[in-house]
Amino acid sequence: MIEIHEVTKKFQDKKKFVTALKHVSFSVKEGQVVGLLGENGAGKTTLLRTVATLLTPTEGAVTVAGFDTIKNANEVKKRIGVLFGGETGLYDRLTARENLEYFAALYGLSKHETKVRIDDLSRMFGMRDYLNRKVGGFSKGMRQKVAIARTLIHNPEIILFDEPTTGLDITSSNVFRQLVHQLKRDGKTIIFSSHIMEEVSLLCDSVAMMHKGELVYHGNLESLYKSEGSRDLNYIFMSKLVRGNEHYAS
Amino acid sequence: MLLKIYLKEIKDCFRDRRTLLLTVLLPVIMMTGLTFFYEKMISDGEGESYKLAVNESFEPELAGIFTSYKNIELVHSANPAKTLQDGKVQAALILDPNFSSNIENGDKATVTIIGDSFSQKSSNLKNIVQNVLGVYEKSIFSERMKAKGTAPNLVEPITIEQKEISDQNPNANLIAMLIPLILAIAIGVGSGPAASDLFAGEKEKKTMEALLMTPVKRSTLLFSKWLTIATVGSVTGIITLLVVALEINLLTENLKKAVSFGNNVVVIIALAVLVSIIYAMFTASLLMLTSIIGKTVKESQSYSTPVMMLAMFPTMILSSIGINELSFQHFAVPILNLFSLLKELVFGIIDYEHILITITSNLVSMILLFIVGRILFLKDKWVMN
Repeated sequence: MIEIHEVTKKFQDKKKFVTALKHVSFSVKEGQVVGLLGENGAGKTTLLRTVATLLTPTEGAVTVAGFDTIKNANEVKKRIGVLFGGETGLYDRLTARENLEYFAALYGLSKHETKVRIDDLSRMFGMRDYLNRKVGGFSKGMRQKVAIARTLIHNPEIILFDEPTTGLDITSSNVFRQLVHQLKRDGKTIIFSSHIMEEVSLLCDSVAMMHKGELVYHGNLESLYKSEGSRDLNYIFMSKLVRGNEHYAS
Repeated sequence: MLLKIYLKEIKDCFRDRRTLLLTVLLPVIMMTGLTFFYEKMISDGEGESYKLAVNESFEPELAGIFTSYKNIELVHSANPAKTLQDGKVQAALILDPNFSSNIENGDKATVTIIGDSFSQKSSNLKNIVQNVLGVYEKSIFSERMKAKGTAPNLVEPITIEQKEISDQNPNANLIAMLIPLILAIAIGVGSGPAASDLFAGEKEKKTMEALLMTPVKRSTLLFSKWLTIATVGSVTGIITLLVVALEINLLTENLKKAVSFGNNVVVIIALAVLVSIIYAMFTASLLMLTSIIGKTVKESQSYSTPVMMLAMFPTMILSSIGINELSFQHFAVPILNLFSLLKELVFGIIDYEHILITITSNLVSMILLFIVGRILFLKDKWVMN
């Protein structure tokens, strides 16, 4: 479903180049839920933005559902839903319904399709009471629900979440986790980045660990537990980082 | 798609109280303030009353030369200069102690006028007193010449007559500076918040990423946002013109007298609206760039402020240029051409060649700015923080 092949991304910072991704390669199969782990600055967001067509790789290529993210960006965009940072990406002066209608229109949904989709999503997230209220006055949890609904408005096959539960309370985080389970049941392919190991071990089939722009591990969670002789993902992650740092030091 | 995005942006903009305030209320306040300021400026001190300090010994027959100036009150003082310094009068007139006897004897008499050049009122009074004394001096001179048997023609061999090339009220020039200046400021200030919000604001709120994730062409997004900024600017411009027209017509006397469009009133108003829209479109292109470059609304606003200040320069350039001195370059340079064209319109002149040059130069500039904007908007660096 998603093929990331030898992707390198460099940013120019004044006169020097900063390498955010170094020859990253892995693939995600249809219906898989992949957890993207790494410290701040490891390259998780850059990788997700590259998969989402927002960034152009300096080297390498990414294909999503068989479409190249550069040559066929629009085909990729139609099949992908992205939520960066939980509750962001909403217009405060518009109502929740207007926000959803606007993005539905941008994705080319008809009026009928939009109505059906908004009805379904508002039922799914319990948003009916505040659907016609302006987003500016919403709580974090309410905003997060609307933002997720916006991400799913065009019923994408692939969903990317970038640290979706950061800054959210327990209730809102639980809503998100239930949603991922629901999407998994619906056969969606999901990549989400997180710092919360419990969340990753609970929701994901496989993990991709990143360190200083490099992929230090990618594989099935169960295989990882077996090879590391532990089911403590936090411990495994830290030991991988230590090995990664030793590799850099040598 | 363009229309859908445009309508959403317009709805979003006009739900913003700040935009509404700057689009509607600000032009009304600015126009009212400046209209009254210019009205007062061209009233030439008429209706204004002044106080002139004179010596206590100021003779009644000399005071007679001021009798026709009902708005000048003579304040007798032991020390007129001190009275002026204390702010009780606007100017002081100090006569030589032997002033009257010197005049009578045909000798030279000295008069000192003290005023404050930093005060408009004091300057006005000084001018009036100087004129009054000038007339008085001439009358004494004529009397002395007559007494010596000299004919007045010999003393005054030339009579100078001054005539204006244009039959326009000279105050029309003030209106020709006032309207474009206010219009340019109002359009810049009115469309500024919308411009900052539509690019830098969206980057700050992360809605830009969500927008860029949709299968809508970036050019379509760019054009619809530009169109929104231009619409807000045009609305501000039209409101400004409407307010200035109503205020000059209903609330002023001198400015009203200065404007006379004759039979061309409808065409001139239509052209003024067209010029405002074109200027709003040009401003939108500039503000679009500053907003794309800005990472935050605040940063974008700090870039757009100097851009808006550009509107100050044409006033300075054109204030000393007569209407018949306007040439190709005045209509070929954007911003300057708004001022030049509106100046012509205020003077009741409709020159289609100048209108065409203005529209073409603005369109070319807008296209160039739009190309730059598109190049920036296609680069990751400028669309994401």
